Amino acid sequence: MTAFRLTYRSLTLAGLMVFSLFGQTVDRTKPPQTPPVPSYKLPPVSESSLSNGMRIVLVQDSRFPLVTARLNFQAGMKFDPADLPGLAPAVAALLEEGTKTRTSRQISDEIDSLGGSIDGSAGADALTLSGEALSENLPRLLALMADLARNATFPQSEVDLYKQNRVQSLKAEHSDPGFLAGEKMASLLYGGSPYAHIAATEASIAKLDVPTMVRFRDAYLVPNNATLLLVGKLPAAGEVRKVVEQEFGSWQRKTLPAEAKMDFPAAKRQIVLVDRPGSVQADIHAGRLAPVRTSPDYFPLMLGSAILGGGANSRMFKDIRERDGFAYDAHSQYATERGAGDFQAVTEVRNEVLEPALKAVFAELDGMAAAPAPENELHAIQNRIAGLYLLRLETQEGVIAQLNSMNTLGLPNSFLENYVSRVRAVEPAQIQAAARKYMESADDTVVVVGDASKIGDVLRKFGTVEVAK
Amino acid sequence: MRRFAGLCLLLSGAIGAMGAEVAIPVEHYQLSNGLRVVLSRDNAVPVVSVYIIYNVGARSEEKGRTGFAHLFEHMMFEGSANVPKGAHFATVESNGGNMNGSTHPDFTDYFEVLPSNKLATALWLESDRMRSLAINDENLKNQKEAVKQERRLSFDNQPYSTAIVDVWPTLMFRNWQSSHSLIGSFDDLNAATVADVSKFFKTYYAPNNAALVIVGDIQTAEAKKLIETYFGDIPSQPAPKRPDMTEPAGFQARTETYKDPLAQVPAVVIGYPGPKRRSPDYYALTVIDAILTMGDSARIRQDLVKGKKSVIQYEANLGWPFASELDYRDPGDYALFLLYNPKFHAQEIVNQTQEEIAQLQDQPVDAKEFGRIKAQLRAERLKDLESSLSRARALAQYTIVDGNPELINTELDATLAVTPAQVQAAAKKYLTPQQRAVLEIQPAPKEAK
Repeated sequence: MTAFRLTYRSLTLAGLMVFSLFGQTVDRTKPPQTPPVPSYKLPPVSESSLSNGMRIVLVQDSRFPLVTARLNFQAGMKFDPADLPGLAPAVAALLEEGTKTRTSRQISDEIDSLGGSIDGSAGADALTLSGEALSENLPRLLALMADLARNATFPQSEVDLYKQNRVQSLKAEHSDPGFLAGEKMASLLYGGSPYAHIAATEASIAKLDVPTMVRFRDAYLVPNNATLLLVGKLPAAGEVRKVVEQEFGSWQRKTLPAEAKMDFPAAKRQIVLVDRPGSVQADIHAGRLAPVRTSPDYFPLMLGSAILGGGANSRMFKDIRERDGFAYDAHSQYATERGAGDFQAVTEVRNEVLEPALKAVFAELDGMAAAPAPENELHAIQNRIAGLYLLRLETQEGVIAQLNSMNTLGLPNSFLENYVSRVRAVEPAQIQAAARKYMESADDTVVVVGDASKIGDVLRKFGTVEVAK
Repeated sequence: MRRFAGLCLLLSGAIGAMGAEVAIPVEHYQLSNGLRVVLSRDNAVPVVSVYIIYNVGARSEEKGRTGFAHLFEHMMFEGSANVPKGAHFATVESNGGNMNGSTHPDFTDYFEVLPSNKLATALWLESDRMRSLAINDENLKNQKEAVKQERRLSFDNQPYSTAIVDVWPTLMFRNWQSSHSLIGSFDDLNAATVADVSKFFKTYYAPNNAALVIVGDIQTAEAKKLIETYFGDIPSQPAPKRPDMTEPAGFQARTETYKDPLAQVPAVVIGYPGPKRRSPDYYALTVIDAILTMGDSARIRQDLVKGKKSVIQYEANLGWPFASELDYRDPGDYALFLLYNPKFHAQEIVNQTQEEIAQLQDQPVDAKEFGRIKAQLRAERLKDLESSLSRARALAQYTIVDGNPELINTELDATLAVTPAQVQAAAKKYLTPQQRAVLEIQPAPKEAK
């Protein structure tokens, strides 16, 4: 300690000398005054479409000779047949395992020779084929992506391998309490709607076969259901258009199957305990359905959720983790799909503190509804979200992820343009009003994953408990 | 490829025809206290990365003081004269930024990525702890515990980690500087005193043992002024001596088995002493690694994962497990880590891998495959330059290890200049069974309770 003080004093002296040299002083005791966050406009986004209905979204970013692509279809898990949850992700994963003219090996060799990669994935709403390559290889990347989307054959041996691996990964997922909670929460909140499942089941994996996958491909991977996004060092728009036309132009438009109706259950208090024998912790999820992004409540609730449980300066983190020491993690999450969204408060606590921790979660939720957030708390969060937004847009990957998400959710790109100003415009009273509608704990669905023999009785103090296995 | 002289602004259109490589603007200089400064301006997105690298890592530790480099990295977040404990993180987060620090065999780094209006804030945070870190009993005690907890969670509780961190270096190296546990022992950590830690700080966390790299949306003149204001008066210290890391002559090939109670699937590590950094063989081994393991078409994937169905997952690179070719320093290794199907024996996996290498030794890679590898290497390197943080990381390595940040614009060319004959020669020279260490990691589940 003494040594440290001595060092510090001598440093201060040296500092004074330098300042006099430069004629500039700085008050080190406080964070520096800095200018406001710089304004930033997305690079221009050019949109067009082919006569078969495929949309094209282009963003020129010439800083690096690379190109990043997404081929996005409204063909996510919400279109899985009721008895085949996980069909869309299986189709997505197997697109790159063979087409009418290319084997899996040829696809691997070809994409690597373009300095690229290709990968299919599916979420709740959309199935996306992602590709990237050195920019001079754009025509060949597009030819490959078109072949995969139009002509994937799902070879039997690859389907068998996928099924074998998927059973293993599903087992791993089911050993994770967070996954179990997510799965149960989705089924309770989204009821009979297509958003109620978040993954395959062992039974559905066993049922997967080639004809079903081909039927799914033929029904949903059609041009009038597709958007091609390209970000990077692109040739002139006319030239891009020519290549896109060549690879996708002959693709026939098709009538899409009718979308399933979305009916959701009303919010109500229910407590479900997912039994996980031997668990030493209890995973608490409390939440309910919440509005989509076009709702006027979206920005107030998003900011409210960030104040409540977004990061290390949030209320849940400071109270439940730091003050009470109940848990390592305490956060809230507000996720939106195209047709619905949900808001949840989440924490994983030691079994012994389940009762005070669940009370603390309810108190935090009710606290958001009871009083408007102080201006400085709101201001700090607005600052944080504006900064995070900028950090996401540094790379081609970052820009295309944002545009792809707009496309998946059916939102205009102006949503991104206006994002920061809408964040800044939210008032404390609006957050409180949104909290009253979507955060107050009385009507929350509560899912706890843990050892029923250890925590069942404690949980029953909060109301009737349904135990699920 | 051309180098940018001084501070040419990189804008769309400033690059030549499609396919021409990127030129990263680089300006570098030194403050009078010895702090090396590298600036790379890119005003496309209003984000800035501030990255400080200290030229000290676990391989500089002394006997009886293992784990100091890592302990010290933790101390760096405990507050300083004007930044209370916790304020560093809170300040960065409330501005939407990212930050972290990490300890490596040969360096320790710290960074902040922030909206560019917060450049001064990041410089204030970093200079305050370089100048006046709070080293006291309470902070030291906290962080000893934090480091131990991190070891329990991230290493002792993870499959393969103990074998990789504690055992692998003893097979690859005989000089204690490289062979000791880079995470450190609990005994040494317990014995650390405030005086020890203060000495470590004074010796290694001096401006003349560091480089400050700033990449992103800056105005150069203003940035220089801020750097001088915040860092210019931190006194330099006598230059620390880098310990002698020379390996004794004559590598001893051997195989060892580690029983891992946490592993479910067997694994094998196969490694060879590596070349001198930035020697012709270094680039050749970078290409060899790409042929064996990069992308879907890599030979290990096609022949062993898909073909023989013997290997399940793999990773490999120069400097494995702690470094990559970017931060590789000799003495180092080239090693492969392979998880394999338990139907096979470890020795079969070693033989299959050595057969892949024998092919590289026996036949030159054909033009088609070689072209594919080069496209992949080019794309990977370009992609690595996209974010301001990864650009800063590369500039920092080229500054502190090679003394020349402008290598960021030429290293890719050196790799792409490798010929099939050089690949063959390097495979013969380095990747032989006589210079091979093998670590078999066998699952050894505990008896059910």
